[in-house]
Amino acid sequence: MAGKKKHDKKIWYELDLSAIVYPTLQRRDFSSVYRLSVVLKENIDPEILQKAADITLKRFPTYKVAIRKGLFWRYLEPNNRPGPFVQPDIKNPCMPMPFKANNRYLIRIYYHECRIALEAHHSLGDGTGGMCVLQTMTAVYLRLLGHSVSNEGFVLDVDGTPDPEELEDAYMRYANAQVRPPRPGEKAYRVRGTKEPFYTLNIIDGIMSVKQVMAVAAKYNATITEYLNSVLLYALLQKQEHSWHRKLLPVKIAMPVNLRRFFPSKTLRNFITMVYPSIDPRLGEYTFDEIVVHVRNYMRYYINEKFLRGDITTNAATQKHPLIRIVPLFIKDFTVRLFYTKVQDKNSSAGLTNMGALKVPEDMKPYIERFDIYMGQPFSSRTNCAIASFEDTLTINFASSIKEADVERYFFRKLVQDGIHVKIESNR
Amino acid sequence: MSYCVNCGVELDSSLKSCPLCHTPVIHPGELQKMDTPSPYPMEKGQVETVKRKDLAILLTVVLLAASVGCALLNLFVFTRTLWSLLIIGICIILFVLFIPVVIYTKQPIYLSLLLDGIAIGGYLFMITYLTSSPRWFWELAVPIVALATLLAEILTLCVRKLPVSIIATALYIFAETAVLCVGIELFIDRYFGKPLSLSWSAIVLTVCGIIVIALITLLSVRRLRDEVRRRLHF
Repeated sequence: MAGKKKHDKKIWYELDLSAIVYPTLQRRDFSSVYRLSVVLKENIDPEILQKAADITLKRFPTYKVAIRKGLFWRYLEPNNRPGPFVQPDIKNPCMPMPFKANNRYLIRIYYHECRIALEAHHSLGDGTGGMCVLQTMTAVYLRLLGHSVSNEGFVLDVDGTPDPEELEDAYMRYANAQVRPPRPGEKAYRVRGTKEPFYTLNIIDGIMSVKQVMAVAAKYNATITEYLNSVLLYALLQKQEHSWHRKLLPVKIAMPVNLRRFFPSKTLRNFITMVYPSIDPRLGEYTFDEIVVHVRNYMRYYINEKFLRGDITTNAATQKHPLIRIVPLFIKDFTVRLFYTKVQDKNSSAGLTNMGALKVPEDMKPYIERFDIYMGQPFSSRTNCAIASFEDTLTINFASSIKEADVERYFFRKLVQDGIHVKIESNR
Repeated sequence: MSYCVNCGVELDSSLKSCPLCHTPVIHPGELQKMDTPSPYPMEKGQVETVKRKDLAILLTVVLLAASVGCALLNLFVFTRTLWSLLIIGICIILFVLFIPVVIYTKQPIYLSLLLDGIAIGGYLFMITYLTSSPRWFWELAVPIVALATLLAEILTLCVRKLPVSIIATALYIFAETAVLCVGIELFIDRYFGKPLSLSWSAIVLTVCGIIVIALITLLSVRRLRDEVRRRLHF
């Protein structure tokens, strides 16, 4: 973090390590935008929601910002233009977010019947940071309606001042391993499909019971994340097998890991790293049980403080390199984009994120029905899957910009075959 | 509450068909279905377009100020030649180039190219005031600029309407280079009153011809094309 506090006007924030990548991928028809939404039990009053948003955003200086270009890096600058304004929800969430539109705000707030949705550009922060903003805003909204909600967990005190730790780039604090393990890099299978026209995002939500899923996962000796990862790998393997292919390729999932679990930090900005559970069908045909065993072993072997520290160090090394730092921004943009499209994007067949069981303050629980999270529009034609649970409701949200829903179909059918009751909602 | 007969998942009551396999939802008992509102809104959002108005105003003012300033200097201070025409012409060309970028972004590219060509022609015409005779303009500059504009238009048309690939684009560019060089030499011959014949442009023509034939072969033989793509990919 680089808050220079000479006088108030000079505050600005460097982009954190992951945030550097997202703006370079910006295209006319693509932005890295994710959506978090909460379904309450009563219809939303837009005027009160607007008041709640105004009160809440003062507490989150790194979300009330505009992004600007410097000569060498982009940076975030406090944005005091009017807004962001709450607006009625739309059919195509996570639509591109040009930096200069919307009064330069990088967040959007929508309401629809009982739902409040927050869309944020990924350069501001990850899902955990966004969830803090959403829950705090919901708490303020409920308080304005006369309910009493305490500050706890994701709900921050709106009257307090932001802790400097909330604004830090936590990667830099922990990028201190003495070795830089190489990045895994092998071309993965990529789902091909018919592209939907611009401004379309196909959503399929599956809603199920946490207890049921947990019971089924326990049958395979796995956690919910491990089990659902295996089901997605299984669905992708089926898709690859049934569609035309010249040769088989490994199937990989890009899964963000919340680093706050391993490295204490209160940061509201990005603090995630990717792991890639994968299955290589060229080694032979995997049964579902074998997939689960493989995924479980991979996760338990790889997701620990030491390996993740190595990962962060590798990622930070490029940004810290003095020669790279003095290269002008447009050359950096070009190389980063090239690296992303040619290597990083081909490295995974689908994205999956699990925010786990979302905690809310005890006195807020009665007002909340469920949470939905969406990873947003995928960069290339594939499907992204996001999972969150609240009380006994587990929601699996698929977002894709292709017409075919084969992966989703294989995925949910496998759940149904395992005896889980799945309810489907969709905007198709 | 309905279930998809194909996938076995429960479907939200607003869905008319299963989003996973597109099997329609039909209740044999009650064929006139109840309409439940979708949990998703029906309106589609649009990103607001970025206004480049400030930049447009700034550019126009800067270019206008530069032209007017030079014109005044030319009229009252350094009055020996009409040198300010050179600068005014450049300003006009820059302005015309910027129209599609900042002022009217919906302008068709063919019109933009045509206007660019006309602006460059106009600039050359202004230069005739600084030279002894305008004959070079009418007999050399106008045909060459017209030819170049025409070729640029054709290139754009080909790239936009015909199948796009690096090899095909290279093909168009080499073919047009040959035509442009031949055209330039013929115009020069005519200007100096020499009989029309090819000398230096014949070399360009031959080289481009060989490249064009090679590219056409590449394009028509799939195996070769794939090989080149594989070896030259980046």
